[in-house]
Amino acid sequence: MGNDNLVPAIEVKGLRKVYKQLVAVEDVSFTMYRGEAFGFLGPNGAGKSTVVKMLTGLVAPTKGSVRIFGQPVSAREARRRIGYLPELPSFHRWLEAKEFLEFHGRLYGLRGTVLEKRCREVLALVGLAGRDRQKLGTFSKGMMQRIGLAQALINRPDLVLLDELVSGLDPVGQRDMRDLLRQLKAEGMSIFLNSHQLADVETLCDRVAIINEGRILKVGAPRALFDEPLVLELRVSPINQELLHRLGLVALAVRQDGDTPCSLLIEVRDEEGAADVAAVVHECGARLYSLAAHHRSLEQLFLQTIDASRRRE
Amino acid sequence: MGLLLIMRFTLQEAIRRRLFLSVVILSTLLLAVFAILLNIAVNMVQPDGGTSSRLELLGAGVVVTILVTWLVYLLSSLLTILLTVGMISSEVEAGTFSVIVPKPLARAEIVFGKWLGYALILSVYTAFLFFSFLGIIYWETGYWPWQAFSAFGMLDLVTLALLALTTLGSSLVPTMVNGAIALVLFIGAPIANLVQFIVRVIPSTHVQSQAMQNVTTIISLIMPTDALWHGVSYYLLPNTATFLMLGLSTDSFNTPFTSAEPIAGALLIWVILYSMVLPSLAAWRFQHRDL
Repeated sequence: MGNDNLVPAIEVKGLRKVYKQLVAVEDVSFTMYRGEAFGFLGPNGAGKSTVVKMLTGLVAPTKGSVRIFGQPVSAREARRRIGYLPELPSFHRWLEAKEFLEFHGRLYGLRGTVLEKRCREVLALVGLAGRDRQKLGTFSKGMMQRIGLAQALINRPDLVLLDELVSGLDPVGQRDMRDLLRQLKAEGMSIFLNSHQLADVETLCDRVAIINEGRILKVGAPRALFDEPLVLELRVSPINQELLHRLGLVALAVRQDGDTPCSLLIEVRDEEGAADVAAVVHECGARLYSLAAHHRSLEQLFLQTIDASRRRE
Repeated sequence: MGLLLIMRFTLQEAIRRRLFLSVVILSTLLLAVFAILLNIAVNMVQPDGGTSSRLELLGAGVVVTILVTWLVYLLSSLLTILLTVGMISSEVEAGTFSVIVPKPLARAEIVFGKWLGYALILSVYTAFLFFSFLGIIYWETGYWPWQAFSAFGMLDLVTLALLALTTLGSSLVPTMVNGAIALVLFIGAPIANLVQFIVRVIPSTHVQSQAMQNVTTIISLIMPTDALWHGVSYYLLPNTATFLMLGLSTDSFNTPFTSAEPIAGALLIWVILYSMVLPSLAAWRFQHRDL
């Protein structure tokens, strides 16, 4: 994680958006730091896209403030430093890929050979090298997504905001985009990722915010967000009272799997606990055939958080 | 500068769109057909090439100039509506603004850049068509309106007024609604003049003519295109000497479709303000609009 010096890239305070009677976003506050990959998760209609639109100046907040690199989102200086790819982007289909990138590059103030070079670079970066003379109207959905990312990167932004980047991409395209995001993050770019692809968020993001019904439920590192014990599945023999007793001393819970006699499910606080379990098995003279840690996926944890918030309401 | 970039982009878009190209190609064909037909007609009425024939031709030239310029007025007005009715709304509806608006440029630059691009291309189209027709008429009949450039200025103001209306409309309502409003106003604008003419020729209704004048003025303020067309027609008329030579009176040009008087100065100022204020209101509206 590259937020050691904790310089804010995005500061959101008390954001509220009301459309006529509908409160789309209510009291949303968070800070994303420079060099950080920040995931924004939430079910459909949670207010994610409205927040992203307020971050890019497409939608004006009813209340609250957004600052990008310390400046209001309306400031040109702030806008010069960001790149944005909306969800399911729509572009002028009559443009050729290179013309499209040149136009967006010029809007950022790029000119001449610098622009020319940058167009070639970003086309190659998103896997569209050699397509510069192809009209956008002939592009597939996946290619549209790629050229959209290319325009978001044309200005070498310090911060890139990506709304559902991998939607519309085939598995190869999704992998390519994940690899590219990792590369960009390694280069120090701040990445704001609004995504339904929880696996992407889990592997890429340093921190995640979960939003539901317009409110932020949690913000933190993906794993730290959820206070979940580590579940170990052991295949061990023999299982006797002494073993169960001593495992109970180092574990949070020990359960025997009724279907498979040699199997135990043990909850420990962390990976240190797993090492303790292995040591106890060894000390009791039992044979350890397997020890597998069962991480609950971020998706399960996310769904659990959303369900819990709905139950509270 | 964002404004010039958007203007250039708009020009590029308008040129590449099939609608504009089709209109330009068809207009060129129309010019060619007109030149051929006028040549045939002139050869029919000018067998001897005498003075009386030349005067007849000159008179015919005046009439043809007015009729053909009305065609230019109609074509450029319809092209303005068709081309610009979705200037902002269609981009909002398509979502193409989502990647342009977050760029480092003011929203007003987008509106004024697009407005400027369309104003340029429509002015060039109107000038091309108008002066091409005048050139053909001059070549065949020898008539060239002595205030041709003023007439073009008025024609261009028609385009700018309509453009101002569609610009504002496209920032307020969906494309189809904007198109319907612009068309109804444009087509409906001459109605007041028509009714006023009827009132004028029926002696018993003269007392109501002031009320009619007021209605005409209000309509001209809301949609000044018809009033501007009357201004155009005035500038197409020959000078006094030619009038005398042709034995015509200026009164014969005071009809529901033409005018022998120039547009009122106050109305001209209003149209200029109209053409500037409406796009400014559109920019203000777009500035405060969620996308």
